[in-house]
Amino acid sequence: MIDPKRVLRALAEHWTLLEPLCERFDAGTLSLIELRSQLGVQLPDSTPADVTALLDQWIRLDILVPVAKSPNRFELNAQIHDFLAYLRREHRLGLCLEIEAYLRHLERLAGYIQDAFEIRDGQDLARQLRLLDMRVRDVLKKLGNDEQALVGVADRAKTSDRQIPLRQRYAEVLATWDEYVEPMIQLVAADGAFEQGVRRVEQVLLKLLGEQQRLGQLVDDDLLLRTHARILEMQTTAQLTLRRARELLLPLREEARRHNAVTRGAALALSAIRKRGLDAVPQASLPLFTRPQSTFLGSASQVEAYVYALARFEPKPAQFPRASGKRKADAPRAPRTVREMLERCEQALPLPDLMLWLLEQEPEGATDELLYWFSRLSRDARFQRERLERRDYLTREHCVSLSSFALVGHANAQA
Amino acid sequence: MNLDLSELSLLAPIFRELFKGYHVSRRDPELYTQLSNLQDPYRALFRALGFELVCDTRGFYYFVPEQMGAQVNKTAQRLALFTFILVEHLADQGRDPLAVLDGGSLGRDELPPLLDKYRDLFLQAEVTSQDELEEKILRRLTQLGFAAEDNGVYRFLPPMHRFLDVCLAVQQDRDLAATLHSDLPLPTPPLAVEDEDPVVSLENVLAEEEDEEAALARAIAEEKELEA
Repeated sequence: MIDPKRVLRALAEHWTLLEPLCERFDAGTLSLIELRSQLGVQLPDSTPADVTALLDQWIRLDILVPVAKSPNRFELNAQIHDFLAYLRREHRLGLCLEIEAYLRHLERLAGYIQDAFEIRDGQDLARQLRLLDMRVRDVLKKLGNDEQALVGVADRAKTSDRQIPLRQRYAEVLATWDEYVEPMIQLVAADGAFEQGVRRVEQVLLKLLGEQQRLGQLVDDDLLLRTHARILEMQTTAQLTLRRARELLLPLREEARRHNAVTRGAALALSAIRKRGLDAVPQASLPLFTRPQSTFLGSASQVEAYVYALARFEPKPAQFPRASGKRKADAPRAPRTVREMLERCEQALPLPDLMLWLLEQEPEGATDELLYWFSRLSRDARFQRERLERRDYLTREHCVSLSSFALVGHANAQA
Repeated sequence: MNLDLSELSLLAPIFRELFKGYHVSRRDPELYTQLSNLQDPYRALFRALGFELVCDTRGFYYFVPEQMGAQVNKTAQRLALFTFILVEHLADQGRDPLAVLDGGSLGRDELPPLLDKYRDLFLQAEVTSQDELEEKILRRLTQLGFAAEDNGVYRFLPPMHRFLDVCLAVQQDRDLAATLHSDLPLPTPPLAVEDEDPVVSLENVLAEEEDEEAALARAIAEEKELEA
């Protein structure tokens, strides 16, 4: 029998050497040569004899054990490895099956408890209750460990090199999902084995409490109540662990799935293009246009001008005329109608120069307005016209160069 | 809805960019911040003008593009082809395509091997040299806000999700997988506008000019008749 104190002392003394070795042992076993070289790096001043002495001590204390059928390879003692993993907060994900096995055991214990009560064996009842309590603690410990391990899985996936393929990066996530989360979902479901097992144990304990009140106490009620509370805690913890597992892994799993879908989609599209040319980019794909759509009834430049006008819009205070005030003499004149202008033009016939006549009629007229009337009147079918030489005309604001017309009479008059 | 135009202080630059087909993302912090803070007024105003502003939750804004019937948009085809090629190329290299196209980057030095490997496909998009690849594809990607270029490195921006969505749509399109193995013609995509086209449509303006010219011709003809 190895003295526990000596093991603990060795672990404490050699922690700086053991901790880096743990990582190596997490990945597999080590040969004697690998172990010696690893320790040689960490203890540069030591002689080979010192390293041999150190390894001897670890082997004697059962910290290191030879691998079965490979006497020159070593691994950490499984118990020590678990203990060190706990200290290092390195958690390995357990199996969902383990939880199921624990539950079956809990159900069996509930059966023993019932039997012990029926034969009024107080000692056995207390022993079975303690066993049940310890098993529930085991499950709680395992759920806690699994949750930490899941955090580790997600962290490794998120922090691993972004340049390695996603499939590789998330391989652990996908495996964990399939092997742990998926079975856990079924286990913890409302009609799953977990709920059923918990309910059965709970029923036994509650019945026991009632019977004790009726028939007299065999064990302390507190023991029963404590065990019951721990069972409920286990149930809640399982649900929380599962929820956390989903929260951690589902987005990563979706990312991996999306990645696969994108890669497959691109390969499909390229295959189609290879076979049928660029126009084979499939209809199902969202159309990608570079030009925006407009349902506005106007040309694009009008819309653009309109938006710029909006952007520079500055509201001016509206000035309303006072009721008592008099209208100014130069109140804005109503725009002339085509009929009015045509009539005036007809009355003034013959016109030696239409543009000059317009300038006389509308000395204050804006250039674009004058040009509009010039165009409108010169083209009117009722006038007979003659083209004049090009010359300059001065409007209020501009100097316009054009070939005006002489309107010599009615078109039908000559005909 | 009441619009306070003084609030929309960046209306003109925002409209100008969106109208060009540009995708506004966090790369343009000022425009993006104003669009995301005043999303509703901008949408309402643009809708009144006949433009549908898309606010993609993945962090970008663009105008719903114009449906041009059977007319195929060469630029969109080229950019989609480039995305497909890049995804496959990166996956072949054992790299993560999403990590590159969703915020990652691609060096200019990576283009020649890409061009060599997919020469036959690039040929279909009338891209035969690295210059053409940069001119016809990567420059267009940056012009439309899909990527940003800095010292020979192209960084892909959130709007690239539109092309990744195309990959997903293709993957979900069972018909495509079926047609790949049949002789039926593949459906043509309703993509728009040749890239040589001006971004702003001048069709209506041209039509108006034609009217003017026709009217003038009529007037001259009438004149000649009268003279005769």
